Amino acid sequence: MPDSMIILKNVSAGYGKHKAGKPAEEALVVKEISFEIAQGHSVCLAGPNGSGKTTLLRVIAGLLPAHGEILVDGKNISKIRRKEAASYMSFLSQMTRVYYSFSVYETVMQGRYVHGGSFFSRRAASRDREVVEETLESLGLQDLSGRQITTLSGGQIQRVMLARCIAQESPVMILDEPLNYLDMKIQSEFIDYLFRWREKPVKTDWGKEYQPTIIGVFHDISIAAFIADEVAMISEGRLLAFGEKRDVLTEEMLEKTYQFDAAGYLRKYRSCFSG
Amino acid sequence: MKNSLLMKPRNQAALSNCTWKIGAAILAGLAALILGICIGSVNIALPDTASIILAKLSGGAVKDSIDASLVSILWEIRIPRTLCAYLVGGALAVSGAVIQSLLQNPLASSYTLGVSSGACLGTALIIITGAGSASIGYFLLPAAGFGSGLGTVLLVIVIASRLDSGFQNHTIILFGMIVSLFVNAVMTMLSALNKSHMQRLILWQMGSFSGRRFSHAAVIFVCVLVGTVLTVFFHRELDILSFGDEEAAAVGVDRKRIKILLLVLSSFLTGVSVCFTGVIGFVDLTIPHIVRKIYGSTHKVVIPMSFILGGAFMTLCDLLARTLMAPQEIPIGAITAFIGAPFFLWVYYKGRI
Repeated sequence: MPDSMIILKNVSAGYGKHKAGKPAEEALVVKEISFEIAQGHSVCLAGPNGSGKTTLLRVIAGLLPAHGEILVDGKNISKIRRKEAASYMSFLSQMTRVYYSFSVYETVMQGRYVHGGSFFSRRAASRDREVVEETLESLGLQDLSGRQITTLSGGQIQRVMLARCIAQESPVMILDEPLNYLDMKIQSEFIDYLFRWREKPVKTDWGKEYQPTIIGVFHDISIAAFIADEVAMISEGRLLAFGEKRDVLTEEMLEKTYQFDAAGYLRKYRSCFSG
Repeated sequence: MKNSLLMKPRNQAALSNCTWKIGAAILAGLAALILGICIGSVNIALPDTASIILAKLSGGAVKDSIDASLVSILWEIRIPRTLCAYLVGGALAVSGAVIQSLLQNPLASSYTLGVSSGACLGTALIIITGAGSASIGYFLLPAAGFGSGLGTVLLVIVIASRLDSGFQNHTIILFGMIVSLFVNAVMTMLSALNKSHMQRLILWQMGSFSGRRFSHAAVIFVCVLVGTVLTVFFHRELDILSFGDEEAAAVGVDRKRIKILLLVLSSFLTGVSVCFTGVIGFVDLTIPHIVRKIYGSTHKVVIPMSFILGGAFMTLCDLLARTLMAPQEIPIGAITAFIGAPFFLWVYYKGRI
């Protein structure tokens, strides 16, 4: 097994006041969660609505302050600069709201921000252009390159945002329900692009190569099962189980997590298609 | 590489298209300046204007054929006034563009954070206490307006960041409005208790460029130049922040630090404008929208173009303000709103830009 890309040690988090670094016990949404994600693996967080999985995802991405330790390739996420964190992890959320009319090319180029050097040492931009153009082509976006994103459909916008994440060239991609509001065909295309991204190692600016790692939350448990190698089952802010998807996504575990006959529901749901 | 060959023409075409539009904007800016200088209660022919300016700049004597009163009208009144109008219009439009992108709100403006109400209160205090009539009053009034305007914004930023650790846009807007209303209330009470100063207070609030001298223009020029250039340096961060805070953080922008810095920077631009000329609305709100519609939303272009077109718009509005009902002057805020309000309705009618 390759080394751990992300390590969570007793991570707790919540919203509201953060005096002394930790919110009050009753305000905690994520409680004492620990697990490790191996490099190159895909992990999905699963659990009912309000179980804290999206909060945990944002905590891992370093977008929310948390108590406990989160190590990305051995570095504590709360102690490194925002730019360094982003050079390890890209983040794609559900439906980005777009107010202003940037072109597709400009939007994807924003993913190159982490490679931009400091205020005084602006790097040559030729590599940025190369990466953006390659990414656009690999996602079939080259014809939309000059279009304003405000004129695109939801599925196209989401593909552009995925392109932005890929152009960021960070070894870890964090997905917060990116397939919401997308139809089946676009979902399947999106997953294909994701799988293709996962095949090629990502080389960072500091010259190290990583196997691409995915951490995601998906509304649909069957998509989660499709994408993940491992599943972290979360309920009421606590980790119920973490392991290979076959071991975690069992009928008993689903029933225990969702507190209803989940397996029966899934069987009924699938029987509609078998005819 | 095959794909880069494919891509280049498209990007270059977009670029040359943009260059053409930028050139047009610069010409429009120059035209507005020339019109503003030449037209007025006394019209001065372009060749005369040119020879007066050349003579003044080179330190030589003005031709005898030109009336001496024309020279002083042009050099001491109209040119500084037009320059002030241009610089203030540009500064307001730039800060409006920044605030709209930063707060992801097309309705936000440089006044959303309370710069204007703060500045009004500051100048009201000076006017009421009578300190403005002393010899230091020439710059004391603007200094007080500037200080209290910026102070109000800093108060809003401190409150918002204390109460909301995420420093979210709607918190900033909400506290900006609350603090503005509170400061306005203090201001209303002050003016109600000091009826003798009321007219001057109201006139100041309506804004005007009349009586602006070169010394004003010089101060505004330095501040606006520094503020605008610094803002352009952050064009990538502004682009990214227009997609939202969380997205910006995920791409690597230190959102809170950059946001506070840019809020202060744009409030500085607004503060400089307001303290010298009073509160002039609509330029900050509408010009950035027009600019985005013409040039797209990249801030590398939006910021300089907002400056150029904002300045041009303000110069023309000032021209109308002083000529439409000459010799009486219409408050410039009324002119900008008169043109700005129908435009805004049109924007809403057409949907988002």
